[in-house]
Amino acid sequence: MTHAVAAARRLAPIFLVTAFAIVPLVQPAQAQKSGGSITVGQELDIPGFDPLKVGVYDTSAETAAAAIFDTLITLDDKGQAAPKLALSWTHSDDYKTWTFKLREGVKFQDGTPFNAEAVKANFDRQKDPANKCRCAFYIAYVHDVQAVDEYTVVYHLNDPQVNQPALMAVQSSNNVVHSPTAWKTKGDDYSRNPVGTGPYILKSWTAGDRMVLEKNPDYWNKGHPYLDRITLKPLPDAQSRFASLQSGEADIIWDDEYDPDNIQKAQKDPKLAVHAYTGSGAQVYAFNTKTPPFDDVRVRQALVMAIDRKKMSQAITNGLAKPASNPYGEGSWVKCKDDGALPLDPAKAKALLQDYGKPVEFKTIVTATPRGRTIGQVLQQFWKNVGANMELEQVDQATIAPRGFQRQFQLTPWRIIDLADPDPQMFANFHTGSPVALANYSNPELDKLLEHARVTADVAERTEDYCAITRLINKEAIWFWTFQNTYYAVSTAKLKGLPKIYHGVIDVSDTWLD
Amino acid sequence: MLAFVIRRLVHLLPVLAAVSLLTFLIASLLPGDLAYVILGDQATPEKVAALRHDMGLDQPLWWRYLSWLGHVLQGDLGRSFRTGQTVLQAVAERVPVSIELMLLAEFLGLLIGVPLAIACAARAGGPFDRFMTGGAFAMLSVPSFLSAILLIYLFAVELHWLPATGYVPFTEDPVANLRFFVLPALTLALAEWPGIMRVLRSDMIATLQEDYIALAKAKGLKPSRILFVHALKPSSLTLVTVTGINIGRLIGGTLIVESIFALPGLGRLLVGAIYTRDLIILQGVVLLVASGFVIVNFIVDMLYAVLDPRIRHGHA
Repeated sequence: MTHAVAAARRLAPIFLVTAFAIVPLVQPAQAQKSGGSITVGQELDIPGFDPLKVGVYDTSAETAAAAIFDTLITLDDKGQAAPKLALSWTHSDDYKTWTFKLREGVKFQDGTPFNAEAVKANFDRQKDPANKCRCAFYIAYVHDVQAVDEYTVVYHLNDPQVNQPALMAVQSSNNVVHSPTAWKTKGDDYSRNPVGTGPYILKSWTAGDRMVLEKNPDYWNKGHPYLDRITLKPLPDAQSRFASLQSGEADIIWDDEYDPDNIQKAQKDPKLAVHAYTGSGAQVYAFNTKTPPFDDVRVRQALVMAIDRKKMSQAITNGLAKPASNPYGEGSWVKCKDDGALPLDPAKAKALLQDYGKPVEFKTIVTATPRGRTIGQVLQQFWKNVGANMELEQVDQATIAPRGFQRQFQLTPWRIIDLADPDPQMFANFHTGSPVALANYSNPELDKLLEHARVTADVAERTEDYCAITRLINKEAIWFWTFQNTYYAVSTAKLKGLPKIYHGVIDVSDTWLD
Repeated sequence: MLAFVIRRLVHLLPVLAAVSLLTFLIASLLPGDLAYVILGDQATPEKVAALRHDMGLDQPLWWRYLSWLGHVLQGDLGRSFRTGQTVLQAVAERVPVSIELMLLAEFLGLLIGVPLAIACAARAGGPFDRFMTGGAFAMLSVPSFLSAILLIYLFAVELHWLPATGYVPFTEDPVANLRFFVLPALTLALAEWPGIMRVLRSDMIATLQEDYIALAKAKGLKPSRILFVHALKPSSLTLVTVTGINIGRLIGGTLIVESIFALPGLGRLLVGAIYTRDLIILQGVVLLVASGFVIVNFIVDMLYAVLDPRIRHGHA
């Protein structure tokens, strides 16, 4: 016995060396294991799943939706559209008609067959003006959906969309497919008793406490999912959420760069793993160019040139936040050689403001949170250094959107979220006449570029369009970008298989424990 | 006694009316139009006007108050626009958690505070008394969000004795339920016991100077019997008041503590409603909580009468 142990000890290094030598040859190195359960610590309480009731999902709801439901399309590791409930797709030459072939033999968790009629019913229910769904806003560009045969659906779009499939991959209230039987029979109770085709079935849900999801034994993707059970818990306090991960009550938690101490602590901890994904989009600000002093381009340029993003990142996120010089970000396929970003140049900024002649005084909207105030104060300091006086106007998060809509601001924060294609947000934010063209700025050249980019399929040509667009916006300084969107999750090192955190959604539905 | 109870009940009515009016005004006068909040990033003027009309927001304030009050009196406190749940459903789901938390916190507070107070009063001015009085001051000035995090790090992260966050219903697993409640209740109790101790201590010191205590001592009764039987009850009148008022403070404390420990109670519901501008839940919950507070204090008034017969006869 002891001889055997001693022998094993002596031989162990040899085995290890051999193992390391072999691993690169036999891909994949990671073996998925079935069984076990995990607890996910989320930031927010989930209000429900019926789009008619809740309108849109937040990222916490999308994490749950990713497990309960499926989308037609998913994104692969490179961010490209890949099949899920849809197997293949084609488009018309003008990108306004998209035809999807659906997977056959899939059933919802209540036994209802998944087919083209179900997809159409989901769409029609959200689109129907009588239902007054807030979710309808985001499918306004889709005119209608038709079921051509049992397993073929056609989307007719009002506006061309060259990346339509990739845009349908987010686990949003628009994209996940609900069982039509379930919402018809459950009525008002459906929102808290959702039924999809996904890998997990909702077992129980205590408001404000926990949602228990159990493995769907009849899932169409054989061999998946791996975990037997996923428990989702809202843990609203960032400190105790992290403590729950350390003490083992949670296996993976949502985090963000405003919690840099814990993220950096986790990066050094071998028992923990930090999952970070820098997507497309950015944290941005819009000037109202119709109100003085922002009706003068010199003032706008001066303020942008005064912002030292690196220092700002250090001050607010301990250096985690990645500076942004355009609205596309590392995760976007749009890569610009020259995005026309204004340089950091306080001296030039001072000169521009002196050239303007009048005193520069204005208000900036910030959220009435410690985070919002800190960001505001940092900007205030940069601008004070170049001779501009900024006053902070603290409002709560919910009033920022309406203030933007009514153009009741001089300078407001905004956000360009991580989407697989820049068109929906860039067109809405910058095309003349759009309700969220916050800067109140109109430029035929910009409009032309935006219109051209949305009907062009060639990636190189589109990239050039979007780079020209950001050069123009940067030069005119109607909006500016501070930091890229980086999403974080921290998990135990044993949790494997987490995909990129596209759109801020921590999708644990295909993970396993090692 | 009955006349006394009825008199006090009648006094409650204007208080409750004022509570309802204040609650309504606070929720209505918050900046930001509810219609804009609900519509979010698609608040076009036409949609806003239509929704305001649907929700009756275009009516004058007094009319909205009266119609809300009318519904409230019929037991209809409204429905969350986010979840579709009624206020009563939401409160019913969460109130047991908060009540358990408050009772445990109050119990722990008394458990720490009362023995310390008696010990201090028994040797008033002694080294233990002086140390504890200073210690109570120090504890009183530690905010609960700080003690919560410190307790979590010590007992959950370092020692692994207790869970950091979470909740299990008592009916499902009583032991696990109590384990989840220890740290949050202790957090609240740490802020409760100093007040309890100081109030009871000074009352007891006063009582211990009374002639009847001297008589009891002269009769040769055991000191412990004098302290616990003869001195404690007459000294606890202020303590009962403090305990009643503490309920109000505890309700405030649950807002923070329930968020930190992720307990699904009223405090969390309220914080969530504030963040998401769920004004219907907000005003409904505040109304119910404020009414509950008023009623608890009514019960405290009644307890006085039990503890001190002079009060129920209107002599004190």
